[in-house]
Amino acid sequence: MIDFVQNTVDGIMFGSSYALLAIGFTIVFGVLRRINLAFGASIMLGAYAGTWLHVHYQVNVLVVALTTLVCTVLAGIYVERLCFRAIRRDAALASMVSSFVIWMQLEEAAVHLLPERTYAFPSFFVAGSFELGPFLFRGEQTTMLVLAALMVGALHLLLRHTRFGLALRAVSESPRAAAYMGIDTAWVMLCAFALVSLVGGVAGFAILATDEQITPFFGLWATFKGLIAMMLGGMGSLPGAVLGGLLLGVIEAHAQWYLGNEYKDLSAYLLLFAMLVLRPGGILGQRIHGREALAFRRV
Amino acid sequence: MLRVRDLVSSYGKLDVLRGISLDAAEGRITCLLGPNGAGKTTTLFTIAGILSARSGSVLLNGEDLTRLPAPKVVSRGIALVPENRLVFPRMNVEENLRAGAYARRASAAEIAADIADLYRRFPRLEARRDQFAGTLSGGEQQMLAIARGLMARPRILLMDEPSVGLAPLIVDEIFRIIQELNAEGVTILLVEQNARMALTVAHKFYLIEGGEITFSGSPGELEEDEVIRRAYLGAQKE
Repeated sequence: MIDFVQNTVDGIMFGSSYALLAIGFTIVFGVLRRINLAFGASIMLGAYAGTWLHVHYQVNVLVVALTTLVCTVLAGIYVERLCFRAIRRDAALASMVSSFVIWMQLEEAAVHLLPERTYAFPSFFVAGSFELGPFLFRGEQTTMLVLAALMVGALHLLLRHTRFGLALRAVSESPRAAAYMGIDTAWVMLCAFALVSLVGGVAGFAILATDEQITPFFGLWATFKGLIAMMLGGMGSLPGAVLGGLLLGVIEAHAQWYLGNEYKDLSAYLLLFAMLVLRPGGILGQRIHGREALAFRRV
Repeated sequence: MLRVRDLVSSYGKLDVLRGISLDAAEGRITCLLGPNGAGKTTTLFTIAGILSARSGSVLLNGEDLTRLPAPKVVSRGIALVPENRLVFPRMNVEENLRAGAYARRASAAEIAADIADLYRRFPRLEARRDQFAGTLSGGEQQMLAIARGLMARPRILLMDEPSVGLAPLIVDEIFRIIQELNAEGVTILLVEQNARMALTVAHKFYLIEGGEITFSGSPGELEEDEVIRRAYLGAQKE
């Protein structure tokens, strides 16, 4: 029983970073009805820029964090310009393929920056590990959970209580009607990309600071985790993304404990598959109908 | 007043508007009448800056809006109530109204005051202020779309077929609202297929066919015109 609770706690802590990745996918999907496959790769490139500074100049971990965030946002804007802005709105397949191509390009760029396979990433935690009764709370993971909670809270305030949030939600609901209200939809889409890149950058930094290492596979890994968590929770739903991320973290933690490390990813894929068959809209997603169904057909 | 001169607009190579000129006088309801595909919505879209004009001009109180993008046009005082309402279905009524005020950059207090005014005007919207707009009835959604347009504090409200898809009783109600708004001083450019309803409210008519204005005149002149009577009013001689 103690193991079960400990695993659940660990899962929730690590799942909080999955939640941030899923939010990145879900907001872009909301605004554009597209999947940005290059999301993980842009985070990876940002983190590589931070790692490069760390490796060559041994800079402070906070400088690494800042560099990671700034470069992830720049990479996100680059992806938006090339994959989404430049390609017509009705050519969904073209922008999906081009986001895949940009993914490869960003990965190349990262490998050019740091050609070795694995690099050390500085660890980061605000508080040390502590014990609460029989349970252990690791410092890095508690930090991750706190960061994620802060990000989700800030996002909620931004989306519900600011002028930009109103514009972003209006564009997600109906880009045409939003344009009639005088909302500059192209600008909102660019800002949405910058925003999710910031969220993704925080998630990437928190994960890498926990793992204390980075490889070029991080982009693929982050895209997978984010997509799975989003699909579990429900596409286009912010609470869904949070729920999906936490659920994915908990499932993985239990699978790793009870079945072994090699079943960790497999159990997550099985869960996703079951979800796609039984409830394709995800846990909190609306039943797919109307405009969404149309969007899916276009994708 | 809104002054449109020789407006040409096209989708790709196809000219949809072939030199439209019309005036919408301040404090009046001007109606643009015409069959499907004649260019009514295109005219509104071009005025609102959603489509860019190939040539011609759009002047609002003497200011040239022809080359401005849609966000600028809205902030200069032209608001569009689109066909089929197009409310934001999963935002609540109040958020829809706030979205309507987006281009104004008004203070929170001003916006709150305008929303309160509109709730007095449309009590049914106040009763549903926290409901998703998608759960409202067709007539309520049309009211919301109109109220959302008014939130921009426009000098002129462009309305694209407000009667479409609504039951006859609701259409009567919407046209009563249009008339009341006008009596309160709102200038309106109304696009309609329903000539009979339009006749009950509009002060000036333009008929658009094949991208050209083929008739302009008062309601009386419209009713006198034999050809229009047959084609649009479907009326036998009384």
